[in-house]
Amino acid sequence: MSRAGAVAAERAAGGSRVPAWVRPAAVTAGVLVLALGPLAIVDNLYIQTVAILTFLLVVSSSGWNIISGFAGYVSLGQSAFIGVGAYTVGILSKHLEVSPFLLAPLGGVAAAVLAAILGLVAMRARGHAFVIITIAFLFLMQTLALNLRSITGGSAGITLPLPTWSRDLGELPFYYAMLALAVLSVALAAWVRRSKLGAGLLAIREDEGKAAAIGIRTPAYKLIGFVVSAVLIGIAGGIDGYFLTFIDPRGMFDILISVQIVLAALLGGRGTVWGPVLGAFLLQPLSEVVNNYFGTQLGARLLVFGGLLALVVVIMPSGIIPTVRNAVRRWRERGSTVPFIEQPVRLATVPAAPAANGQAEAPAEPGARAAPDEPAEPVGTAPPGESAARAPASAVRVSEADREPEPERVPILEIRGLSKRFGGLTALDGCTFSVREGTITGLIGPNGSGKTTVFNLVSGTIPGAGGEVRFSSRRIDQLRSWERPALGIGRTFQITRLFKQLTVLENVVAPLRHFSLRHLASGGTSGAEAARARELLDLVGLGSFGDRTAGTLSFGQQKLVELAQVLMLEPRLILLDEPAGGVNPSLIQHLADLIRQLNREGISFLVVEHNMPLVLELCDPVVVLAAGRTIAQGPPEAIQRDPEVLGAYLGGDGSATERLPRGPAELQEDAPAGPRGPGNPKGDAPVGRER
Amino acid sequence: MKLAQTVLLGLLTGGVYALLASGLTLVFGVMRIINVAQGALLILAALFTFEIWRRTGLDPLLAIVVTTPLMFGVGWLLYRGLLARVRAAPEAMTVLLTFALAIAIEGFMGLIWRNVFRSVTPSYFASSFHVGGLFLPKGLAAGCLTAVVVLGLLYLVLTRTWTGRAIRASAENLQGAQLVGVRVVDVAALTFAIGVATTGAGGSILSILQPVFPASHYVWISKLLGIIVLGGMGSLPGAVIGALLLGVAENVTSAYVSPRWSLVVFYVVIMVVLLVRPQGIAGSRLREDVAA
Amino acid sequence: MGGGVLQLQGVVAGYGGGDVLQGVDLRVDLGSITCIVGPNGAGKSTVLRAVSGLLPPRKGTITLDGRAIGGLDPAGVLEHGVVQVPQHGGLFPSLSVRENVLMGAWVLRRDRSLVRRRYQRVVETLPVLGEWADRRAGNLSGGQRRLVEFARSLMVEPTVVLLDEPSLGLDPASLRQVYDLVKLLNEQGVTILLVEQNVRVGLGAATWAVVMESGRVRLAGPPREVLDNPEIADLYLGGTISRTGRV
Repeated sequence: MSRAGAVAAERAAGGSRVPAWVRPAAVTAGVLVLALGPLAIVDNLYIQTVAILTFLLVVSSSGWNIISGFAGYVSLGQSAFIGVGAYTVGILSKHLEVSPFLLAPLGGVAAAVLAAILGLVAMRARGHAFVIITIAFLFLMQTLALNLRSITGGSAGITLPLPTWSRDLGELPFYYAMLALAVLSVALAAWVRRSKLGAGLLAIREDEGKAAAIGIRTPAYKLIGFVVSAVLIGIAGGIDGYFLTFIDPRGMFDILISVQIVLAALLGGRGTVWGPVLGAFLLQPLSEVVNNYFGTQLGARLLVFGGLLALVVVIMPSGIIPTVRNAVRRWRERGSTVPFIEQPVRLATVPAAPAANGQAEAPAEPGARAAPDEPAEPVGTAPPGESAARAPASAVRVSEADREPEPERVPILEIRGLSKRFGGLTALDGCTFSVREGTITGLIGPNGSGKTTVFNLVSGTIPGAGGEVRFSSRRIDQLRSWERPALGIGRTFQITRLFKQLTVLENVVAPLRHFSLRHLASGGTSGAEAARARELLDLVGLGSFGDRTAGTLSFGQQKLVELAQVLMLEPRLILLDEPAGGVNPSLIQHLADLIRQLNREGISFLVVEHNMPLVLELCDPVVVLAAGRTIAQGPPEAIQRDPEVLGAYLGGDGSATERLPRGPAELQEDAPAGPRGPGNPKGDAPVGRER
Repeated sequence: MKLAQTVLLGLLTGGVYALLASGLTLVFGVMRIINVAQGALLILAALFTFEIWRRTGLDPLLAIVVTTPLMFGVGWLLYRGLLARVRAAPEAMTVLLTFALAIAIEGFMGLIWRNVFRSVTPSYFASSFHVGGLFLPKGLAAGCLTAVVVLGLLYLVLTRTWTGRAIRASAENLQGAQLVGVRVVDVAALTFAIGVATTGAGGSILSILQPVFPASHYVWISKLLGIIVLGGMGSLPGAVIGALLLGVAENVTSAYVSPRWSLVVFYVVIMVVLLVRPQGIAGSRLREDVAA
Repeated sequence: MGGGVLQLQGVVAGYGGGDVLQGVDLRVDLGSITCIVGPNGAGKSTVLRAVSGLLPPRKGTITLDGRAIGGLDPAGVLEHGVVQVPQHGGLFPSLSVRENVLMGAWVLRRDRSLVRRRYQRVVETLPVLGEWADRRAGNLSGGQRRLVEFARSLMVEPTVVLLDEPSLGLDPASLRQVYDLVKLLNEQGVTILLVEQNVRVGLGAATWAVVMESGRVRLAGPPREVLDNPEIADLYLGGTISRTGRV
């Protein structure tokens, strides 16, 4: 009976080419079997008990999955919520003459409150620190239950009232209550997975820093996720307490239960909706088998579960369902890789944001470079008709209130006296420069000059030290990193930081300009945002890549996806960190054209690049950093001839006694003969010889 | 007088705790692995000592000569067989693995020695020295002395031998170590084995101080985690300081509040320190900063 | 020690994000001081990492005197007498200077008297090490650390020393000391392959110059000729080398 449900679940989750009606049908069938089945076995209390425990495991494991599977914060303390729920019901039923069934929801409330408190403090820890805190939390709960005798009865425990229904019903009321909770918890997990909350949690798991950089308010998400993961477990704990009739600290806060919860989810598939279900249906019967076979020898049970967990972690850490899914997908996709270069590259106009956002469709006018009526320039083999059919619109949703009165005069970004040290190393030393709105400004400088540090400080990826960063005259250096995208700053990374295990579309849909609770509940990859995401993918030329896993793309393709992500935020300024680095030369031109087009539509750029031809062709003005400060700013031609810039790159040891040629002007004085031209270092002076 | 006695007992206990925690912090410092199974291995070593004492009558403190190499071998095998395979996995998964090991070892111990309290009771076990009005339990004093000696040996190994230098170098700068020819996997296995070897000595000492049974490893790992978190994970001097401080705190709580609350001290320390000052007293940073 | 060659042929290597080296052909004559220069992102440091074993090449071969060393791990490369002094962070801050230098002889540790003799020799070459011997390496300045790292590499009496941007972050005096040591070693027969972003200093000390750009070798020749090439400055600031190969 329980096997059928598991098999149906696995089949339902396995294939993606299965007709749409199969999955809901299988699920409904499974639920019906489970709902009607017991009527046939109303006398068999043993099977009912096993089923009840299985459903409890489903609830706990599904809940665990939300915080530990989706968000990646592995908790070994989840069974504490079962205990909390049970004790809440137990304590209340000593004072109230109400059926414990009605008290169970209060168990959920207690669990939620506790999860909120724990979440507020524990979420600042990551990785193994978080696991240890949850273990300590569980033990602490157990000790409190043991020691606060007046409330909890200490080790003597609490006895709940006996069931009030007739013997003929057996354990059926518990059965149906737990089944309802199990169905509810799976539905909850599925709903979370599809919602923006789930998308955010997944992003946090993949790369928390990047999630923050695209506007996801990570502390809020983690807290909500943790509370959501605990609520149903608390309710189930209350019912469990009633079911067991006797609760005590050792039984209710047993760490072995936590291990089973983790094992069920890991075995079935951490991070999937049906994984915990599959795992629970495999594990609970296994537990019974072990109990029956080994009797009361506790050691055997521990050995089996410990060994099984170790095995799963080492051999199959992602679990059954993802492993099967990946094998199927690899088998299906064998020999069918479509290189990006063969795809026709179409540059369409940057699409407008959905009107549902509530902002007017006013095209932006960012100064001299604006040309809102200019038709899109298709590059490549695109039929011109297609792109022209799209009405040119702005990527920038600049309402009247946001716009600067004279965009040419006020810089969109100002860096003033920025300083930053890493240990003994000074990365920035009073760096000052600005970016005028509407420009593509280049930022260059030799190794170690501080360029990436500037980016990190502007986007908030690292905390600042001295100096100011102003965006449209507003100081932003004190803001958290997820608060900055809302202002209109987007940033790409030198080594792309995509959420590798999510699809390309999920990656592009993830960025959030504004945070609202209501918004969290809406669908992740459907709706207006998804449509815009698809359009942006088309824009960068990756329209047909939406369903590919982001980790399988080439480096250059990943950079384009990152750019699409940034565009989702409707930025006014984009920081590009080495956009051409490691990219196929054929793609670099495409990138440059894209940047230019976006710039025409009103987006300002600050570009760090080492590829000098690209910088000189694309950027104006160019800012040069060396040793943590600005040494030159100006149009590219001037920079190319500036002796100080030349000196910074080519080097000199700065020693006053060395007679080194410093720059073209000097050189031309010294050079007896030979070809003239910028940067001619010819001369008889001893070059670099140390004495 | 009661306070002085309590503090003295706390310090002696702390001395033993320092040895018990040293292996845990060493492994973390070099490999960034928190070996949650350290408690279970400790009990295992204590039970080995019990077996040896029961069959041969060998004094448990002398049995260290046998249990230490034995546990070294166990640690080596565990690393090579299991932990080496998850080197690339996220931190939380490694903790899960060591936790699974802890439970499996507990199960194993339960099957062989059953869930009965075992303790080793050599002749000096129950008596005490009387020094200036204070009682020094002989078992505890001998245990503390042994612990100090073993810690001293560990210190010498780390600072005077090539292996020790390689371990310390790898902890600080993996690439630098590689460039002088240190083979990282070998150093990792060696470090882990040494870390587990300390439970050999520690377990033998433990066997005369308290009765043990398989499930008591939870208590011990909680204490050890509290100690290394307070002292600073990865720092050996930190472990000593943390051990002494918590040994005293535990004893004081036990004597003045109630023995049942003494364990809570460790839980609270873990949570508070990890949240307020994650590097503890003397350690290197444990967690990455969440974005700005 | 003339005659032999350290050779890279068609080496392709990268970090998974993209290949930094796109087919490097490089010839280093044993006994020379060869300096690699080039703009950022050219792959200069990556070449050193490929040779020293920190980054195995995906394609291509690396041979020393005919023996293949490409793809060996750093310990294996060390056995062939090739040592790398990394760009930064090669020292162990909490170990003393003496211990740091001794660690350089890790692969020789079984022969205690040999290690002792080598240490004596290194201290003779660089007497200041004697003064610093018991100081904690973490307390040294950047220039001092670079010297200690250099000294450490001498413990194995290497055939080839790979120097990664020795001038980075150094004051002029330390810079002078480092390059004096380079010349001294070379006179004793050690081959030096160095990467420098300070073109004038690097090429000033070198006997052979190599210019890299975008993951390939663009130009190689005697340093004076390379320096005289007007396209060098252009290369750093937007031009490209019009001719590849020898000047």
